[in-house]
Amino acid sequence: MSAVAAKPAAGGAMNPTAMGVGVVLTLILLGICWYVSPGLGLMTLIGVIIGGVLIGFGTHFVPVGGAPAAMGQAPGIATGVAMLAAGAGLAGLFGGAWAAEQGLVVAVVTGGIGGGLMMAITCMMVNFVYVFGMGIPSASGKVANDPITGDSQAEYKSQGTEGHGLPFVSFVGGVIGGILGGGGGTLIYIELLSLYEETLPSIMGVPAAQAAQVMPIAVSAAGIFAVGLFLVNAVLTAYNITGTIEGPHDPKFKRWPRAIVASAVASALCGLVAVLIVVPF
Amino acid sequence: MEPIVFGIGITALTGALATVAGSAEDTESNIGSQGDPNSQVQLAPQMGFLHRIFNKAVAGEPPAYGLWCCLGAGLAWAFMAMQINPVLAIVLGCVLATFVQGVYATTAYVGRTASLAKFGQPVYVDVLKSMTSVTMAHAFIAIFCTVTLCHLINAALGHPFPLPLLGLIWGIALGAAGSATGNPYYGKERQYQNQKFGAGVPISASGNIVRYAEAGERNSIDNGFFTHKIGGSASGICFGLIVFLELWRTVLFEQVSAGWGAIIVGILMILIFTVVDRYIEVWARKNYGPYTEAKEASS
Repeated sequence: MSAVAAKPAAGGAMNPTAMGVGVVLTLILLGICWYVSPGLGLMTLIGVIIGGVLIGFGTHFVPVGGAPAAMGQAPGIATGVAMLAAGAGLAGLFGGAWAAEQGLVVAVVTGGIGGGLMMAITCMMVNFVYVFGMGIPSASGKVANDPITGDSQAEYKSQGTEGHGLPFVSFVGGVIGGILGGGGGTLIYIELLSLYEETLPSIMGVPAAQAAQVMPIAVSAAGIFAVGLFLVNAVLTAYNITGTIEGPHDPKFKRWPRAIVASAVASALCGLVAVLIVVPF
Repeated sequence: MEPIVFGIGITALTGALATVAGSAEDTESNIGSQGDPNSQVQLAPQMGFLHRIFNKAVAGEPPAYGLWCCLGAGLAWAFMAMQINPVLAIVLGCVLATFVQGVYATTAYVGRTASLAKFGQPVYVDVLKSMTSVTMAHAFIAIFCTVTLCHLINAALGHPFPLPLLGLIWGIALGAAGSATGNPYYGKERQYQNQKFGAGVPISASGNIVRYAEAGERNSIDNGFFTHKIGGSASGICFGLIVFLELWRTVLFEQVSAGWGAIIVGILMILIFTVVDRYIEVWARKNYGPYTEAKEASS
């Protein structure tokens, strides 16, 4: 079938074959990891995949309007999806990494709250500038009433625009997105850090008594991989929602299953590389 | 007690540095016309509106500032490893990172404007000469403040990440906060000053940006002067709050209930910001009122 004869694919349509291929690819990558590093390596990869999926899913919640939002032509935050999600998630990763020594659960929750706090402040300041700087109230272009507060939206849209600002549901979506992203990024970091702490001393020939010497390398490598995996998953999601989304009430939000599978495959591949660098052959 | 007081002092200093960084970042991006509003600067000549606005969308603000702050922090880190005094090392690292920003700004302006040649948009050499140094000066302030706060977080507060990684993380967060808060004010309020106040720009007006000032043609320094008063200040407050509150809750409450204290305080702060946001939204709906009747809008 030529490209001309192909049916135009709807943006939100799911392709079961592609989803199936994605799941099989993830299983193959997990199988490779099990073969080369059963136990700790496999557990790390599973953690990385869960973290990546959390980031991919969380990015769908972040209300981003792109360039039209900068002119008050569309609702959302006036920047890119991947960039804002990365900003929030990395702020969370910063907090989570600080709390790493207090255990996995505390660190992941701390990272999530750090990302959520960054988004709460940013979303509040966006509305502050719209309302007090530009005199424009918030209005959604995708729903008649705000699903949380029930406020009607249509009459608050100015003429010739699709809406502007951040309605309350978008604010809540942004905070949820920040929490999931920050938590996911921190989970990836903690998993990789525990793997590197365990394996790097023997690979680098450092005696067990001086294992603390490799800590800076382990922290740096785990941190860089966490940042990289964050950007991979956020950019994948940006493609899935074609650049802009209003939040959980946007029809584009329903495309999340596709991004989950894509994030799982991408995280599995990148995570496998992160595991393989410490597997002696 | 003493470490906590020390930690609070460092936290306050990093918050102040972050506020200055956020403000300088937004003003730099508005003078350089980086970020989403630049779509209109690029679009205007295609719609027949030639202008003298600087046009240097190197990348989105977060990755651009991630690069520059990481570069500044990395170089400062290398200089410190060479036993150079941290203050001097940070200044030198940031100066070098600023030169990289200047190179990107120059090539971006020349390249992007040259791509508009078929629409008759000239490359103004005097614009390049006068604007580039101003964006570099603002970029230096933003990068210097960010790298300094990263050094304080690393050296004084004991964060495990090395300086270059902190520079990358906080550079991306700086760009995200600055572009999210500052872009609408530049994009709507300044570029479309000829449109009605208190309403979004109609999509049909896209590209018709304001090109003339009180005397002669508008230039980008005018844009920076205008936007730093609200957009720049709001961006500064936004980034300052993010850095200050994130550090404050960690420094003061990390040891409470094995880490859960900082989490509970974080949740409380999120709830407070949620209430403030809802108050702002309702205030606007009550005081500004709807644009049309509800029935008319839904029909």
